[in-house]
Amino acid sequence: MSSNDGIGRLRAIERQFDMESVSVVDHRSLEDTRARYLSRKSGLLTLELQSLGKLPKEQRAEFGRVANEIKLKIEKSLEALQTAIDQREKQAALQREALDVTLPGNPRRIGHRHPLTIVRKEIEDIFISMGYTVEDGPEVESTYYNFDALNFPINHPARDPRDTFYVTDDLILRTHTSPVQVRTMQKMRPPVRIICPGRVFRRDAFDPTHSPMFHQVECLLVDEGVTFADLKGTLERFHKQFFGEKTKTRLRPSFFPFVEPGAEVDVSCVFCEGSGCRVCKGSGWIEVMGAGMVHPNLYGFVDYDAEKYTGFAFGGGIERYTQLKYNINDIQLYFLNDMRFLEQFL
Amino acid sequence: MKVSYNWLKEFVDITEAPQQLGTRLTNLGLAVDALESHANDWIFELDIATNRPDCLSHFGVAREIAAAYGTVLKPPKFELCEAGKRASEVFSISIADTDLCARYCGRYAAGVKIGPSPEWLKDRLEVLGIRSINNVADVTNYVMMELGQPLHAFDADLLEDQTIIVRRAELDEKIVTLDGAERELNPSVLVIADARRAVAVAGVMGGAETEISASTKNVLLESANFDPLSIRKTSRGLGLSSEASYRFERGADVEMARYACDRAAALIQTVAGGTVYHELIDVYPKPRKPIAVNLRRHRIKAFLGAAVQDTTVEQIFKRLGFQVNNTQEGWNVEVPSHRIDIIREEDLLDEIARHYGFDKFPATLPEWSGYGAALPTEAAERLLRNQLAALGYSEIMPLVFSDALKEQRFRPNVEPVRLLNPMAEDEAILRSSQVPSMLRTIEWNLDRGVRHMQLYELGKIYRHGGENRSLILAATGVLRRKTVHELEREFSFFDLKGDVEAILERFDIQLKSSGNSVSAYYHPGRSFRNADLATFGELHPDYAEEYKFRNRIYIAEIDVEIVLSSNGQRIIEAIPKFPSIRRDFSLLLTTGTRYVDVENAVRSVEIPELVRIEPFDRLETGPFGDSKYALAISITYRSSERTLTDHEVDNFDKAILNSLKQRLGAELRQ
Repeated sequence: MSSNDGIGRLRAIERQFDMESVSVVDHRSLEDTRARYLSRKSGLLTLELQSLGKLPKEQRAEFGRVANEIKLKIEKSLEALQTAIDQREKQAALQREALDVTLPGNPRRIGHRHPLTIVRKEIEDIFISMGYTVEDGPEVESTYYNFDALNFPINHPARDPRDTFYVTDDLILRTHTSPVQVRTMQKMRPPVRIICPGRVFRRDAFDPTHSPMFHQVECLLVDEGVTFADLKGTLERFHKQFFGEKTKTRLRPSFFPFVEPGAEVDVSCVFCEGSGCRVCKGSGWIEVMGAGMVHPNLYGFVDYDAEKYTGFAFGGGIERYTQLKYNINDIQLYFLNDMRFLEQFL
Repeated sequence: MKVSYNWLKEFVDITEAPQQLGTRLTNLGLAVDALESHANDWIFELDIATNRPDCLSHFGVAREIAAAYGTVLKPPKFELCEAGKRASEVFSISIADTDLCARYCGRYAAGVKIGPSPEWLKDRLEVLGIRSINNVADVTNYVMMELGQPLHAFDADLLEDQTIIVRRAELDEKIVTLDGAERELNPSVLVIADARRAVAVAGVMGGAETEISASTKNVLLESANFDPLSIRKTSRGLGLSSEASYRFERGADVEMARYACDRAAALIQTVAGGTVYHELIDVYPKPRKPIAVNLRRHRIKAFLGAAVQDTTVEQIFKRLGFQVNNTQEGWNVEVPSHRIDIIREEDLLDEIARHYGFDKFPATLPEWSGYGAALPTEAAERLLRNQLAALGYSEIMPLVFSDALKEQRFRPNVEPVRLLNPMAEDEAILRSSQVPSMLRTIEWNLDRGVRHMQLYELGKIYRHGGENRSLILAATGVLRRKTVHELEREFSFFDLKGDVEAILERFDIQLKSSGNSVSAYYHPGRSFRNADLATFGELHPDYAEEYKFRNRIYIAEIDVEIVLSSNGQRIIEAIPKFPSIRRDFSLLLTTGTRYVDVENAVRSVEIPELVRIEPFDRLETGPFGDSKYALAISITYRSSERTLTDHEVDNFDKAILNSLKQRLGAELRQ
């Protein structure tokens, strides 16, 4: 047998493999093909290599070179096929476990904070960042702290049992958070920089604009050199923080027994940005707070030197701020606790 | 108070339109609540602060406007022609209780003709919402709206002995007031009396018996000044208020009484004819002493934050009718009688701020050093709220008023805080428990189709002499809805217990059964109590039935003050160096044996290497008879010093099984 014949056979095996490998599509046909050409006992190429010894010496090198070249080629080819089949099968497996990802996810129940809590914390955080300390006090309060020490004359209409809940003749449900001002001033010397958020009560029937129970936050600053201009600046800063930098704040003269000058505080309407709408009744302004310079009579109750110290105080309803933040127009919603309302808050 | 634009213009020249004037009034502190056009006039609804009774009249409001515009204030023009006798010859007036009546001015008009008012007078009153009565009564109302001084006209011939005595009422004295009601009086009420009886409740309302009528010929006109506190008490006591009492209880101008009396007498002459007798009877035992207040220049900047020019300051006060004298430090300002609100320097600073303009002051931030801080428990409270939200609980905020009877069902041994003047009988107390308001909230939602909920409230409960914050959790319905992916799962007792444990664990508090009995509103077999720290469980079926609840309701009450103030120190341990070994046992236990006993039996062996014991399966029935049940527990051991050997762990197991057998008769299930 000549080497040409031998190499011719090898090339024939190579061509046969090239044709057959096209139909290798899975592991079984791959293994069959591998065995057919490379199996140790009966592989076509193996058998050819075993016949190497029978060739004349001078032809062996050439035959061996070609046989090895073809063997390497087949092995490489089989390897590539193997990888391709692995890939395909992995893909098929992934395909098989595919989900309908458009189905909704499993619902998770996460609780909701009450809107008044959200707003109260937000207000607290703003004032804490401006250097104020949070104080609280009792809800069942003496008439002394709620009225007398706040300069309410004995005949002031706010004391009327038609407006204020009485527990005894001199014990009431506090009608504002202002008693905390007096309590705090009693226990410390200036500078006093506090806010008092809390629950208050007035004898109003429960309707869309009134509730016998609601919440206020009050701010008090007493120090040397505190001015009316500082009051304006503080209110302006707070409202910009709370409603946004575009918000304007306006003070109008008013009267509260425990401040002088007293003022009503308006903010530019958060809904129309001051251009006039239904909520602000076309005025562009919304009333949010009462404010003023601490009345010197209060210093008498807590033994501060009114010549040395001045201060300001202001307070507003947390429900009011919540209403403006979320556009809620019925105060009853806060206290009826209907889940369909509450679950809208984060 | 209603104010007519046209009427104002009688006292001050106004060039601005009503809308602009309204803005100006609001900026002066006379807030315009409404502005309505009315025929050829505009009516302002003004919200006058309680300290400014001087603005409860057209003349008073005009005074502020004139000061603001710097124009002239023109008092009403009238001429009074006195004739006939001297009033004091036919009539006598005296004040018995001068502490309650500072001044009483009277005019006597003879031969008046009572009849309807002329149209101009009717119109003036009607646009302000005041009903026309007759010409003389209308004049008194007119002058009140004009000058702020309440007046009253008596039919002089019906006054016994032609006498007026201002005195306290006698005990059990009675009077029928103009509104037709009979009123019982007492010595705290000041009355106007004739020689025999009370003929008017001073400053509040006249009496029906001496009322002006068609047959009245002679009129005694009253223009007086009464003590504000006394008027307020009387008005409240009798449940009777009027335009007059509204002004007197805020404080009328004592110097206006005489002028207003003449003004009214002149008007009566115009609209009802007759003769106004000579002399105004003026009983004024202690005339008002002028009040002057010092204003220091430096206080303006120190208090208001901006300096205001001297000339501006002086101008403001002069225009408002104050006398201003220069002093070394600033000014001595003499206060006019109508400004009863001004007694100290800050009151003057308020006037400057108001009339100079709030908007002209800069907006600055106060200087400070120091720091701000939340309430001491705030950080803990936020942690708690986050934990509750993570566990699925939504916050509620119910009203704290409650019904005494309902409350008693939950707190039978507590005397609640009662209100003297509740809004309604079922809101007469402050709650002593959070449970009823929570159940009401659940009821509200169930009634509206919300069937699955987890709620919490962090709020106060009240008792005599104190109030505490407290935490309540409640849950009902399913924890997980049925979806295409999962089965439905009902909320259970052990979900509640897990939640309570998770919350307490956050604060390094361990839940321990204290064995104390729970309240009657808990299901006795499905509730748990840890002393005063926490009680939780299923609502008793009897109570559930009262509320018509069909699903099980779970509630947990937690003393949040204990939780929030818990200063449990969390110590973070290093990650274990050596592996742990877990051993599982399937135990056969006598029915009725509680898990806590199993755990105690295991722990009683006191193996330091025991790190965890956990039950993971429980079988009530099986091939072990009715008197037993099977419980599978896993026990985890670990040493911090070495890897445990099988031999060591076998010994631990043996000791534990031995203890279980000794204490509980527990067998290993074969």
